[in-house]
Amino acid sequence: MDLDKLLETSDSCIHDEPPACTSCCPVHMDVIAFVGEMEKGDFDKAYKVMEKRVPFARIIGSICDHPCEKVCVRSDSGGTVKISELEKAAVSYGFSPPKNTIPLSKSKGRVAVIGGGISGMTAAFELDKKGYQVTLYEKSDRLGGRIWDYEGIALKKEVIEEEIAALVKQGIKTELNTLINKKRLEELAGEYDAVYLGTGVWEEELKIHPETFQVGDTSVFAGGKLANNNDSVIFSASSGRRAAASVDRYVKKISLSASREREGSFETPLKYETEGIEPVEAIGKASDIYSEDEAIGEAGRCLKCRCRKCIESCSHLTRFNISPKSYMRQINQNERIILGTHYANKMINSCTMCGLCREECFKGISMKAVIKETRESMVRRGKMPVSDHDFALKDMKFSNSKYFSMVRNQGEKAEYLFYPGCQLPASYPEYIGKIYKYLVSNMSGGAGIYLGCCGAPADWAGRQDLMQENIEIIKKTWEDTGRPVFILACSSCCSVFEKYLPEIAFVSLWEIFARKGLPQNNRISGKRVLSVHDACATRHNKEIHDSIRRIATLSGYEIQELKYSKEKTKCCGYGGLVYFANREQSADFVKHRIEESDNDLLVYCAMCKDLLAEGGKRTFHILDLIFAEDMERAALRKMPTLSERHGNRAQVKIGLLREIWGEEPDMDYEKQRDFKLIIPENVRQQMEDRYILSEDMAEVIDSSRKSGERFFNPQENSCLARLRLDNVTYWVKYEEKDEKILVKSVYSHRMEIVEE
Amino acid sequence: MNEDKNYNMPWLCDKCKRELVLKKVKVRYLEGNFEVDLPKCPECNMVFIDEEMAVGKMLEVEKELEGK
Repeated sequence: MDLDKLLETSDSCIHDEPPACTSCCPVHMDVIAFVGEMEKGDFDKAYKVMEKRVPFARIIGSICDHPCEKVCVRSDSGGTVKISELEKAAVSYGFSPPKNTIPLSKSKGRVAVIGGGISGMTAAFELDKKGYQVTLYEKSDRLGGRIWDYEGIALKKEVIEEEIAALVKQGIKTELNTLINKKRLEELAGEYDAVYLGTGVWEEELKIHPETFQVGDTSVFAGGKLANNNDSVIFSASSGRRAAASVDRYVKKISLSASREREGSFETPLKYETEGIEPVEAIGKASDIYSEDEAIGEAGRCLKCRCRKCIESCSHLTRFNISPKSYMRQINQNERIILGTHYANKMINSCTMCGLCREECFKGISMKAVIKETRESMVRRGKMPVSDHDFALKDMKFSNSKYFSMVRNQGEKAEYLFYPGCQLPASYPEYIGKIYKYLVSNMSGGAGIYLGCCGAPADWAGRQDLMQENIEIIKKTWEDTGRPVFILACSSCCSVFEKYLPEIAFVSLWEIFARKGLPQNNRISGKRVLSVHDACATRHNKEIHDSIRRIATLSGYEIQELKYSKEKTKCCGYGGLVYFANREQSADFVKHRIEESDNDLLVYCAMCKDLLAEGGKRTFHILDLIFAEDMERAALRKMPTLSERHGNRAQVKIGLLREIWGEEPDMDYEKQRDFKLIIPENVRQQMEDRYILSEDMAEVIDSSRKSGERFFNPQENSCLARLRLDNVTYWVKYEEKDEKILVKSVYSHRMEIVEE
Repeated sequence: MNEDKNYNMPWLCDKCKRELVLKKVKVRYLEGNFEVDLPKCPECNMVFIDEEMAVGKMLEVEKELEGK
C-alpha cells in the first residue's frame, strides 16, 4: 500500500484546518476556544485563551480592529459574530494580572527597538521573553504611541499605564525623549546584534521583506505601519512579533524564511457548509460593553466552524468519532506495525464502504477507496483478522456451489440472462420464479437464468484472489451463453459488474419493470406515502433511482424523498460486511436511518430490507409492491436466519429446475438424517449471533452419534459433541429423545485443541 | 486429594465411560501456541471445552492473536 499517497490524502482533509476568523487574524487568536469558554460563562478562561495569542491582551483586546469579523461565516445568517465585543467583555470580566515570572538571564544578545508604539512594544516584549537584552528608544516622553489615542474612549488611563509599567518591570531598558534618525540608526546597528524599527514613519523608503521584515540584508528589521502601510492595530502587533522571531533567527544565524508558511493572516482551506444554518440575529448591547449574559448569548451564535460533514452523515465515523484525516493516520500506523497489536483493524472492518463520505467531502476524499486498498493490503500481508469475514466468504462459496449456482437458457440461446444475485433469492425465494416467468414473457429475444454470487463479499473483504477467480467464472459463463445482456436485481451486483466486468452489458430489473409495465395490478387504493432508501452500491445510477420511483408511482404510492437519498443515500449497515465484523456498528446504521423519517421505507436491495425490518422499521422491497399478496405482512417481514438463507437459495434452484426445466436436481442439500432437530428460540438466536448454521450443527450431532465421540452428563441427560469443520470447531449440547434431538446450546471456537 | 481429578465436573467421556481429568493440553491458533489445563478423557484424550470458555477467554485470545 502506498503510504505516502495515503498521508498526502490525509493532509488534504480539511477537518483540522482553522476557521476563517482564526486564519485571518494575524496573531491567530483561537476564536473557537475563546467563544467556547465564554459560552460556558467562564470569562477567566476566555481571557486566558485570548492572552495566549494576543499581545498586551488587555489593551489590544479593547481596541483591536477585528479583521476576523469580516470573514465570519455567520455573516449571512443573522450577522457576523461580534468577536471584538466579546473580547472587550473578556477583558472586563476575565482579566487577572499575569503571575510574576522569574526573569530569564538576558544572555542571547542585545537588540535595540526603536519606537514605543504597538509594534515596538510587542517586539520588545517578545525579544525580552526570548532572552535578549532589549533597549527601547522612544522619541516622546512615554511609551504607548497611538494607544494613547484611545484613552478615555476604549481604554482607561490606568490600564495603559499598568501595562506599560509591567513591560518596563520585565527589565526592558527605555530611552525616552530620544529621536533616532538615519545616521543614529546606522550607529545602533553597529552597537547591537540587531535593530527593530517600528517608528510608523521613516525618512527614507525602506526595502522591507514582507515575510521576514528584514530591511535589505542588514541587521535591521522593520514592522508596524512601515511594513503594513495601514493603521491596523492587530497587524501592527503581529508584525512586531514576527519581526522579533526573525531577529532571533538572524542572531542565531538560522534561515529567516524556512517553515514560516502560515505566519500572519492567511486564507484557510477550511470550507464550511452554510446550507441549513438557522439565522440568529446578533445580540445587542444594553450599554457600552456586553453584560455577561449578553456576551454568553453572543458567543452562542458562533458556529465553531469545523468541517464535520462526512462525520455527521456517517454512522461509522460518528461511532469512532474520527475524521478522515486522523483515520488515515491511524491506518498508516496500522500498516507500519511489525510487532504488536493492530489497533485499527476493528475500525477498518467497521466501514460499510458505501461512499457517502466522498459525496459529502469538499475535497472529494473517498474513505471507501482508502478502506478497500487497506483491506487488500491487510490480506496480502496476512494481517486480516480471519473471523471478521470468514462466515460471509463461506456464504459466498455456498452460493457458487452446486447447492445454488446454475445456468439455464430459454431455448438454444437467449439475448438476456437474469442474474438475481445471492441475497435476493435468500430473502425472497418465492419471487424469483415469478420474476423469471415475467421476463420470459416480456423480453423478446428470450431470457435465461444464472444463479450465483457476483463476488461482492470477496471485494469487501479485500480478497482480490477470490474476486478475480469469480469474475473469470462469470465471464466464461457469459461467453458460453453467447454474450447475453445481464438483467441484474441487486445493486451490489450492478457495482461489481460495472467495475470488474465492463464488457458485459447489463440492465437493471427495475428498469425493465418501469419500462414494460408491472406484471399484475397490485395498485393500492387510497393515498400511501413511502420514502425511498436508495441502495448505496448504485448511488450514481440515475436510471435505477428513476425506475424505482416510477414503479412506486405506477403502484399508486407517493414518494417523499429522504434527506439522504439518491447519490447521497446512506448504507443500511450491511455493506462492507460490517454486519459480520461489527454487529453493533451495523445496528447504528440501521438506527440512524430509521430515525430519518416516520414514513414506511421502500428499498430495492434484499439486505436493506432485511436489516431495516429487523430494526423494527416498516419496509417494503420494491418486489413487494409488484408481487406481495399481503402488504401488511410484507412490511414487517423479518429476515430469514442465516441457515434459512442457505435453504432458501437451494430451494430456488430446486424449484426452478423442477418447474421450468423439468429436471431433478443433482444435489443432496437436505441430507437424509436419522434424527429430527428441535431448535428452541434461544438456541436459534445463539446460532445467529455466533454464525452457526443448522447444517453444520446437524453434521456435529450426526458424526458424534456415529463415532460415539461425545461427552455425557447423566445429571441433565445431555450429550456434548464437537467437530472441527474447516477452520472452526463446533460444539453442540443436545438431548436425545427417540428420533428427535433437542438442541440445548451451540458454540464454536477457532483455536485448535491438540488431542494427544 | 487427587489433583488430576476435576471435581464438580458432571461430564463423562461417553465413549470410554471415564471421568474427566485436568491435564495440560496444547492449543494453537495462528502464531500462538499455548498449554492450558483442560478436562480431558484419560483414555481417548478427547478434550472438553465448555461454552463459557469458548465464548469467553478463548474468543478473547483468538481476537487478540488475529490483531497481532
